[in-house]
Amino acid sequence: MSTQHAKAAERFIRNKAQEEWHNETLRLVREKRDRQALLLPCWEQLRQLASQIKMHTITHLDKYIEQFANQAEANGAIVHWAKDAREHNDIIYAILGEHQVKKLVKSKSMLTEECHLNPYLISRGIEVVESDLGERILQLMDKPPSHIVMPAIHIKRQEVGKLFEEKLHTEKGNSDPGYLTHAARLHLRNEFLTAGAALTGANFGVAATGDVVVCTNEGNADMGTSFAKLHIVSMGIEKVTPHYQALSVFVRLLARSATGQPATTYTSHYRKPRKGCQMHIVLVDNGRSDILGDADHIQTLKCIRCAACMNTCPVYRRSGGYAYTYFIPGPIGINLGMLKSPGEYYDNVSACSLCYSCNNVCPAKIDLADQIYKWRQQLYSLGKADRTKKLLSGGLRYIFTRPALYGAALRLAPIINKTPRFLIYNNLNAWGKGRELPAFAKESFTRMQEKGKIT
Amino acid sequence: MPYTHSGLFIPCYINALYPEVGVATWHLLKDLGVKPVCPAGQTCCGQPMANAGFERGAIPLLEEFKKRFDSFEYVITPSASCAVFLREHLGRTGHRVYELCEFLLDVLKITGVPGRFCHKVSIHNSCHGVRKLHLSSASELVEPPYSKLRKILSLVEGIEICEPANTDECCGFGGMFSIEEPSVSVCMGQDKLKNHLDTGAQYITGADSSCLMHLQGIAQREEAPIRFIHIAQILAAGL
Amino acid sequence: MSTKNDILSNIRSHSGKTYAMPVIEPDAIRYTDTAARFMEVLKSVGGSAIELQEGEDINARIMSLYPEARSIASNLPEIRIATINPDEIATPHLLNGTALAVVRGEIGVAENGCVWIPQNVKEKAVCFIAEYLLILLDKNNIVSNMHEAYAKIGFNDYGFGVFISGPSKTADIEQALVIGAHGAKGVVVFLTA
Repeated sequence: MSTQHAKAAERFIRNKAQEEWHNETLRLVREKRDRQALLLPCWEQLRQLASQIKMHTITHLDKYIEQFANQAEANGAIVHWAKDAREHNDIIYAILGEHQVKKLVKSKSMLTEECHLNPYLISRGIEVVESDLGERILQLMDKPPSHIVMPAIHIKRQEVGKLFEEKLHTEKGNSDPGYLTHAARLHLRNEFLTAGAALTGANFGVAATGDVVVCTNEGNADMGTSFAKLHIVSMGIEKVTPHYQALSVFVRLLARSATGQPATTYTSHYRKPRKGCQMHIVLVDNGRSDILGDADHIQTLKCIRCAACMNTCPVYRRSGGYAYTYFIPGPIGINLGMLKSPGEYYDNVSACSLCYSCNNVCPAKIDLADQIYKWRQQLYSLGKADRTKKLLSGGLRYIFTRPALYGAALRLAPIINKTPRFLIYNNLNAWGKGRELPAFAKESFTRMQEKGKIT
Repeated sequence: MPYTHSGLFIPCYINALYPEVGVATWHLLKDLGVKPVCPAGQTCCGQPMANAGFERGAIPLLEEFKKRFDSFEYVITPSASCAVFLREHLGRTGHRVYELCEFLLDVLKITGVPGRFCHKVSIHNSCHGVRKLHLSSASELVEPPYSKLRKILSLVEGIEICEPANTDECCGFGGMFSIEEPSVSVCMGQDKLKNHLDTGAQYITGADSSCLMHLQGIAQREEAPIRFIHIAQILAAGL
Repeated sequence: MSTKNDILSNIRSHSGKTYAMPVIEPDAIRYTDTAARFMEVLKSVGGSAIELQEGEDINARIMSLYPEARSIASNLPEIRIATINPDEIATPHLLNGTALAVVRGEIGVAENGCVWIPQNVKEKAVCFIAEYLLILLDKNNIVSNMHEAYAKIGFNDYGFGVFISGPSKTADIEQALVIGAHGAKGVVVFLTA
């Protein structure tokens, strides 16, 4: 009865040291976030405002996204619209072709991951260089991110040391993070200076001003866009925010929620192209406008991709990003995967103990756990309900709706206590993995009551 | 007083596995002046099926529940997660459902309990108790700290109260989650148990026997030197 | 054009219940001594702030702080020790190897150590490529929080601006904090009266 997630999580946990490190490290990030939140007495008010602003914005999305596009064009940017991943990739490839760009330097963008932009461009002969350190490490390893803010959280320093020895010719056996980061700085500096185009994501697009706002700690978005003559922005349509007043709420929440910093090092506002250069903004739908019509799941569009829900999720921390079959893991990823393709990504729905911690940390107050609960209700009609679980639930219901039978079962149950161990603790018994079964009471509450023992 | 005739709901697993919790609740309520009525034929609230994705399967159970408990002004149950489920799914009747500690503090407004319990106990905060019933402040939220379980336990004579590190992190039970994701569930439980053990407590107590059952299963397997007791049993100790 | 219309009409066809914009007036934290708070927070994010005394010679102070700096980039007229003027170079690439950049910030933010720097120089690269960054900021222009900051920020014709909070950093290798990822390895803010 195991889902893909359950199986992959089991493998992850088998490496106990890795699991403990992953769990404890991300738990510390969550605690850093708590400390920052506690410094702001208005924290819960900010979350409420963020939620309300997002609900307003996404339910007036046609107005705001058009205003943003018009404003950006008035500022001198060139705006493109992409219905899906394919259109997004085609547009970017065409822009690069027009400018005869051979090398594209990228800062972090989950949207380009969603659209599989890198393999698309690479197969067409474009050299693509990720410039966020974590992303670069993974690109050199040919691995996907396992976390949306700390993409290489699952990689050990020794692995990075070995990788850099081979690719960047660093000292043998040196896996000091400071040393390796410095080596990456030198290596990527050269890429920034020689790339024909820089691609960034967008944390926010401001409708009133046309600003594209990008938040980084490394400064890689700014390094890329300071040298290349071409700046391409890949932006999901739900990233639009009405004005600076609204933006100020999100900027205060984002870094605090994501990494427990009061602000990212760089909060960059790209309003106009650099003199003599071009700025292209690709606005991507790729299923987002369909979600607007789904009352149960519309709130996923409030997400600002801070990953606080991953850091707090006790299941994510103990199973790692690769245990999830969708490219975004954790509570938000479970939901986004189901919205993308339930038949393909239903395996992740089991990865939740319904503890509701994600609802509480989310800076935009997305009802993440409630949505997972709702997906579970739909698995049956999707034909993806787990058979054992269904049988168990059906069996329980059969007994529970028949009080007499329930009473009889309560009387007979203690017999199980005497069943030989090997019959109970075997591979079929998921409970028995690491846990003893509880013993049935000699006399149930109901029986005691019937016998007049409770007065 | 209206609450002298209150309905007592004994959840299925307490009925079958931990009837002593039901008995303690019964005696405690009586001692505090409530005459609990425990309607015959009650079974399960339906939560296990619903959390597993079979909410429709829970509907007949909810209807049965309504039939049996609709006439009571208060329905009391020694289980936070059942209380939450009933409250969220039963409309008007649901709003009359109280978890035991909640009822004692918020409705009865008790200032003393009969129990005497000279042991060190570690409080187990269940997720639904914290984040749904608000039995304590949640660590994710910026709100003044409070804990109804601590408050009520502190009325018990002789008790020493402590809480584990990461006090409101999930123990990994999660109903069907515990068998659908056994590795993660057990791993979470082991971590939780360790935090409880680190307090040096002799007992782990809480308002949800389901979490306690899961942790007890792990403790038994690992032969950990700690015992489990529902909060009702502590409050009623000696009765 | 048709894709744009398709997307907009798909948005409209899926629109249901609408929500009103809230009044955005949070009880945001206000500090009585914004400069003190700014200095404290900036320090916590790896930067530092120095209050200049009235009449103090900025150039001398810079030289004493960065005695090794051979190449100093700035277009500010008062920075007489500058060796490169980023307004006068043909390409930003020529800034590679700059030891120190000196720029003017307009607004400081006490709650997070940010300084708003609207691009006021031909090559914005100067803010990011130098090994060390020095920001001049009028002490009277420090606000308490981002709400106040966003109400005040402005742009020059260059159409770019950035909030910078301390030096460039990363924790992408095992969450070990390393200062100096791609941008400045050190940020000092000179507070002037």
